[in-house]
Amino acid sequence: MSGLLARLTSPLAAPADFSAVLAGGWTGSPAAELATRPVEIAGAGTVPLGDLCSVSGEPDGTIRFEGDFRRAVRLGAGLSEGMVVVDGTAGDEVGLGMAGGAIEVRGDAGARTGAAAIEARRGMTGGELVVHGSVGDGAGALMRRGLLAAGGAVGHHAGAGMLAGTIVAFGPLGPSAGLWSKRGSLVALGAVTIPSTYRYACTYQPIHLRLLFTRLRERYRLPVEERHVSGRYRRYSGDLADLGKGEILEWTAE
Amino acid sequence: MNLRGAFIEDTFAEAFTMRVARIIITARSPRWAREAALKLTGFATSVIGCKVEAGIERVLAESETPDARPGISILLLTMSKDDMAKRLIERIGQTVLTCPTTACYDGLPEAPDRVGVGSALRFFGDGFQASKVIGGERFWRIPVMEGEFLVQEKFGMVKGVGGGNFLILARSADAALASAEAAADAMAGQPGIILPFPGGVVRSGSKVGSRRIKSMIASTNDAFCPTLRAVADSALPESVNSVLEIVINGIDANAITRAMRLGIDAACREGVVSISAGNYGGKLGPHHFHLRRIMAESAA
Repeated sequence: MSGLLARLTSPLAAPADFSAVLAGGWTGSPAAELATRPVEIAGAGTVPLGDLCSVSGEPDGTIRFEGDFRRAVRLGAGLSEGMVVVDGTAGDEVGLGMAGGAIEVRGDAGARTGAAAIEARRGMTGGELVVHGSVGDGAGALMRRGLLAAGGAVGHHAGAGMLAGTIVAFGPLGPSAGLWSKRGSLVALGAVTIPSTYRYACTYQPIHLRLLFTRLRERYRLPVEERHVSGRYRRYSGDLADLGKGEILEWTAE
Repeated sequence: MNLRGAFIEDTFAEAFTMRVARIIITARSPRWAREAALKLTGFATSVIGCKVEAGIERVLAESETPDARPGISILLLTMSKDDMAKRLIERIGQTVLTCPTTACYDGLPEAPDRVGVGSALRFFGDGFQASKVIGGERFWRIPVMEGEFLVQEKFGMVKGVGGGNFLILARSADAALASAEAAADAMAGQPGIILPFPGGVVRSGSKVGSRRIKSMIASTNDAFCPTLRAVADSALPESVNSVLEIVINGIDANAITRAMRLGIDAACREGVVSISAGNYGGKLGPHHFHLRRIMAESAA
């Protein structure tokens, strides 16, 4: 991938809010303009991105973040366009309320990945958020549309209050997944505890998952196996304490 | 021009601009993809009587389909944009949705002109349907007794060509049929074309209108009917006792040209007197396929 490159020049000493860096349009912005966008550092005020990262390259709709971004929060928040790659682990609230484009985190991601901003009624409303490693608690809360996929484990309360959209967990899905979901889909390829407010429907082969897994394998190189593509899934409908048009699709060896 | 004893007439096929959609049907096995495809393309020989012309383009390997299952590609042609939406909805709804294990996808994803299909068929789900956006495309999951039917929301449509053709003039019905079979076999599976008639062959070529009934759109092509040689203004040489036609529809003129070249080459065999083509003097259809030019390029 060519395009823009933001390389951390020194480790982040404190949590840093990156929410303003990629919000709104950015794919046509040159590196120099992007370097002026503000990053708020806890206890240290606001600094331009260029003070933390060397920003280089030519705009082509892509940007790669290199370095240790574990203390970077809200990276890609409100993203609406372009392709963002984090070459390593990211902090909390990656892709918070994102509306379009794609974020690929090649390490782990923290809590509330792809969730809703405080007091927002909706979380992700579009786009693809793919984390190769594990994802923290509260991922995909209030998701309205889009895809959140984790190559590893997903913490508790994933997809809480989902309105729609899809969350895929290749590793174990933490407790209380999909609570208060209206129409969302959670796909569990690892262990999952089905909430008591979900009810078993049937075991079948959802064809749309073949399309989804093909995309995750070909575009993001996630560890999709043939058993995922052609396998059977136990479908649980829920959350029946809410609208009940959501689902948990649990892969089964049956 | 002669090819293996068959005379290639200095004439052309006259074809029309039509709207084309490519439908990809997949299923758990080739059998069920084929069952759905045969139903979808049934009764779709001519827009004159069927409102639509359709046929199997080719069989798709698992590696070529969106869901990595066995598939079949179909081309479906209509005369207008509005017709396309109606025909796709009724045919996919009645023949693919109903067929076990199938799913249905758009085969022209780059086409900017798009018509809603899944967006209409979803209502069969009676409120239980759900959609998923995958790779920027929306798909509808419609619950059915078997499980779920997956159909793409919109299908692309492009301007294509309908009515490419050539006529096989033979000494006997047997020779005409053997020649037509060889031609259809040679063209089968060529990308970008379909042969919408039974087995790819037409025995009842038509002329525009009727000599007797004004309301008729088409009637028998008496000039090419051997039994009428003595009473009609016949276009047939004395030695010809049977004529069959191959009709070719395609995604564009180049695809039809390539297919005609293969088909005519295969058709020129023992018992064939000449190869001709159907046209209306060049005044009705914008696409003209000149037989000799096509075959001259083949020789070159």
